[in-house]
Amino acid sequence: MSKILNFYLNGNPVEVIAKPEQNLLELLRDNIGLTSPKCGCNRGDCGSCTVILDDKAVKSCMVLALTVEGKKVVTVDGLVKGEELHPIQKAFLEYGAPQCGFCTPGMVMAATAFLLENPTPTKYEVKEALSGNLCRCGGYDKYTEAVLAVSRGEFGPVLKGSEINV
Amino acid sequence: MRSYFYESPSSFEELFQIGKTTSNEVKFLAGGTDFVPRLNYELNEVPKEGQKDLTIISLSKLGLDTISESDEEIKIGSMVTFTEMKKNNIVNKYFPVFEETIKELAGLSVRNVATIGGNIMNASPAADIVPTLMALDAVLVLKGPNGEREICSKDFFKGNGRTVAQEQEVLKEIVIKKQKGTSSFKKLGRRKAETLSVVNAAAYIEKENNICKKARITIGSVAPTVLRCKEVEEALIGKELTDETMKEASLKVIDSISPIDDIRATAWYRKKVSPVMVRRAIKSACDAE
Ligand SMILES: Cc1cc2nc3c(=O)[nH]c(=O)nc-3n(C[C@H](O)[C@H](O)[C@H](O)COP(=O)(O)OP(=O)(O)OC[C@H]3O[C@@H](n4cnc5c(N)ncnc54)[C@H](O)[C@@H]3O)c2cc1C
Ligand code: FES
Ligand code: FES
Repeated sequence: MSKILNFYLNGNPVEVIAKPEQNLLELLRDNIGLTSPKCGCNRGDCGSCTVILDDKAVKSCMVLALTVEGKKVVTVDGLVKGEELHPIQKAFLEYGAPQCGFCTPGMVMAATAFLLENPTPTKYEVKEALSGNLCRCGGYDKYTEAVLAVSRGEFGPVLKGSEINV
Repeated sequence: MRSYFYESPSSFEELFQIGKTTSNEVKFLAGGTDFVPRLNYELNEVPKEGQKDLTIISLSKLGLDTISESDEEIKIGSMVTFTEMKKNNIVNKYFPVFEETIKELAGLSVRNVATIGGNIMNASPAADIVPTLMALDAVLVLKGPNGEREICSKDFFKGNGRTVAQEQEVLKEIVIKKQKGTSSFKKLGRRKAETLSVVNAAAYIEKENNICKKARITIGSVAPTVLRCKEVEEALIGKELTDETMKEASLKVIDSISPIDDIRATAWYRKKVSPVMVRRAIKSACDAE
């Protein structure tokens, strides 16, 4: 039985009808039409569907849609300020980390949420934080280096949790 | 296709009422990291005929997400996520072995939602928190329509995916006595991160002048449930904890396990590495302060 679901998506209140068996990824892509989170496996293994839910990275294919009632969901679309990319996005571009780009939206969200928790990580910690995000083009090293560069402030100040929700 | 329903009760009374009045199959939802992928899979399959409708009951509003401490014990609510548990001061003060365990369990974005209760109730032989809980002799509290009952972790699991809990019973909390020994958890996966265990093992050791006074040794992924290794424990108690005795004792684990071939490893390989993982867990527990 479908229900009405209210939550915040990239700072905007949304009201949608969701089915109890739907996951958040499907809701975002099929009901709302926001296709930046990608479906690589639909079983929690690949991380391409990663979004930020109440300041924490989660794999949206494993989150039941109806459980986000009242919560804040952020996708890459919520990180851009007008034409201005988020420091993580700038760094990924600069380092040439994405190749095919399929894993990239998930990588951006996992890295952004991680830096909110740990703004000055070691290389090992970055690798560990991104270990749930598979990149079949094998761009791991560049992704890792790019995140470290952001943590050193090379791409400008990193936003705080409350700021990314607008 | 069967129909699906979702409920999010804010009290146990409400929850048991739903269970009483429905003829549907009922499933509890914690973090969903086991449940939702299964549901995704089911939805991709050709629907089975004659399947009952499914009511999904979220446990998120029952206040089961707290960790507390008394003089003798700590209590961990079943809905506490691994991320919360890993940074909790009470847990880290008395049982640093949990941080060691959780670090090896899945990846950050899974741990952000996966709960300790879900890991237990899923009753997978490869569940990583279970060997540690059994080594600490944790007690699991079930709450059902007819009241609460406490079950020792070593008697809780009945098979792959099966526990002593009845369909209506919710795992409420996990109670662990404060104790004077030290413990450790070791995991062998197919790769370093975000992978299920090929073999995992945990050890709890109490010693005096390097003589083993008490030992609880557990091993996972080598039988239908996580096991307590009595033979290994007996071989340790009363002995001096040297590399030699640890090695000898660990070899005894072979008698208790019944591993199978699966997608992660062969039974042959599991037999080879089981004593190694047990020995590492014992050694590391002895060295822990
Ligand atoms: C990519 C990936 C990696 C993983 N890696 C690991 C790993 O390294 N180690 C590991 O051990 N596991 C791993 N898992 C499995 C899973 O994440 C854990 O088992 C997790 O702890 C399950 O908790 P949950 O809250 O998500 O449970 P859910 O999926 O919500 O529930 C699991 C089952 O338990 C029942 N249940 C949950 N809570 C209760 C309760 N309080 N009372 C009664 N029944 C309940 C549910 O009905 C369901 O049947 C992994 C999963 C994925 C997708
Ligand atoms: S699509 Fe969600 S983890 Fe792969
Ligand atoms: S860039 Fe192709 S999968 Fe990562």
